[in-house]
Amino acid sequence: MISLRDVSLVYPNGTRALDSIDLEIGKGSFVFLVGHSGTGKSSLMRLLYREQLPTRGEVTVDGTRVDKLRRSKVALLRRNVGVVFQDFKLLSDKTVWENVAFALQVTGARTKDVMRQVPRVLDLVGLSHKSRMFPSELSGGEQQRTAIARALVNNPKILLCDEPTGNLDPANTNDVMDLLHRINLKGTTVVIATHNALVVDRMRRRVIRLEDGKIVADEERGYYLSNPEPSSTALPSAQSA
Amino acid sequence: MDWGRLQFFFSEVWRNFTRNLIMQVTAIGTVTVTIVLLGAFLFTRATIGAIGDDVLKKIEISVFLRDNVSSADARKLVAQIARDKRVKGVSYVPKSLGLQQMRDRLRGQIDTSLLTSNPLPDALRVQVVDPSEVMSVASSVRKRPGVATVEYAADAVQKLLRISDVLGRIGLGIVGLLVFTAAIIISNTIRLTVFARRREIAIMQLVGASGSYIRLPFIFEGFLDGLLGSALALALLEVARLELLPKLTVALPFVPMHAAGHDQVSFALELLGVGAAVGIVASWVSVGRYLHA
Repeated sequence: MISLRDVSLVYPNGTRALDSIDLEIGKGSFVFLVGHSGTGKSSLMRLLYREQLPTRGEVTVDGTRVDKLRRSKVALLRRNVGVVFQDFKLLSDKTVWENVAFALQVTGARTKDVMRQVPRVLDLVGLSHKSRMFPSELSGGEQQRTAIARALVNNPKILLCDEPTGNLDPANTNDVMDLLHRINLKGTTVVIATHNALVVDRMRRRVIRLEDGKIVADEERGYYLSNPEPSSTALPSAQSA
Repeated sequence: MDWGRLQFFFSEVWRNFTRNLIMQVTAIGTVTVTIVLLGAFLFTRATIGAIGDDVLKKIEISVFLRDNVSSADARKLVAQIARDKRVKGVSYVPKSLGLQQMRDRLRGQIDTSLLTSNPLPDALRVQVVDPSEVMSVASSVRKRPGVATVEYAADAVQKLLRISDVLGRIGLGIVGLLVFTAAIIISNTIRLTVFARRREIAIMQLVGASGSYIRLPFIFEGFLDGLLGSALALALLEVARLELLPKLTVALPFVPMHAAGHDQVSFALELLGVGAAVGIVASWVSVGRYLHA
């Protein structure tokens, strides 16, 4: 589903964000990208939805060479890749329903598809009863669930989440992670960039660790740290993934 | 037809349009001023052109006869002049016909019923084959017996056409500058709207909206600026036509102003088209620059 071959990214100011990355992520996977701030997690994510082009190497997403993609085709790629951010990126003057519908409407979807899809994803994220509320009337977790609903409404094959729980308290964090887990169970490939050790250790899924733009560890059912202290995985409301 | 999609599109346009109302008013006002001046310029140019055409078409020598020339002598004179190869045609206009023609021309503008006698002399109208021979034909006609005066307007026509040409160039330059100014202002208005909506645009791009879908509401906004501005200008021009034109016709009864406003519908459509085109081009450039930045 996602393939990176010898990918490097150097910003114009000379900063080397990614260095010779080789990575394969299969269909239906649930993957954590971990590492400290500035290790290249977000840069790697941006390559996947073609917000950024690599300086070198091949980036393939769902069979499409993203690094070779013409500008006019980027929109089609993004309908297949949902993206969720730490700061939600919701439109404050639109309701929950309108925020989610917006993602369909701006891609030229038919009204009957909007009327069918929006209630479906709002039901999935558990916000049907708050569809008429504005973002400012929601908790952080609810806002993030709205953002996830918007990312999912086009039925993407891949969901990219860049620090999705960065602004959330532990209870909301658990809600959002449970939701992402359920979405993954429906077959969507989920890639989460995070430096939240509790989340990673609780889920016990594939963990790819980045340091200075390089992959330094790639473990199935991994922990945030390669050799965690027993105390670091003692979590509240731990749930097996 | 998917009314929901149409409704969404127009709600986006309305949202853009009402976001920077002061800038929109400025843009519309600039288009209005530009189109009013363009309309006034085109009207003036058409009027001057019509005067020139009118005079050129009728380039002729007016031969006024002495009072003592009889109708039979006048007709003989016509036959003599008509034999000249430089002459295309000669017509005899008795003073009674001359008065009638003047009355017809000035009907509704000047009350000719106040005339108690006919002040006009009998006249001949001589058309020449080549306007450059007007002078030589006129001097040979002037020598014939019974001829009082000979008049022709060749010099005046040449001057008029030269003035019309110069005025046309100056006017076109001014209108060009105004169109450019209107385009810059519309472009800046759209840029402000784009800037105010940069978050929405970023989300649109993120969820896979095509470039043309993002662009279209902004281009429609520019189109609206241009269209509303030119519609307002047309309203002002129409008021001017209704209020000023009758007064001008009375003040300048010999100027054929009706010719300038001959096809008012196509004239109005052209002005609307210019306004709309300026709006579309300006917004297209503005949004295109932002999206490619």
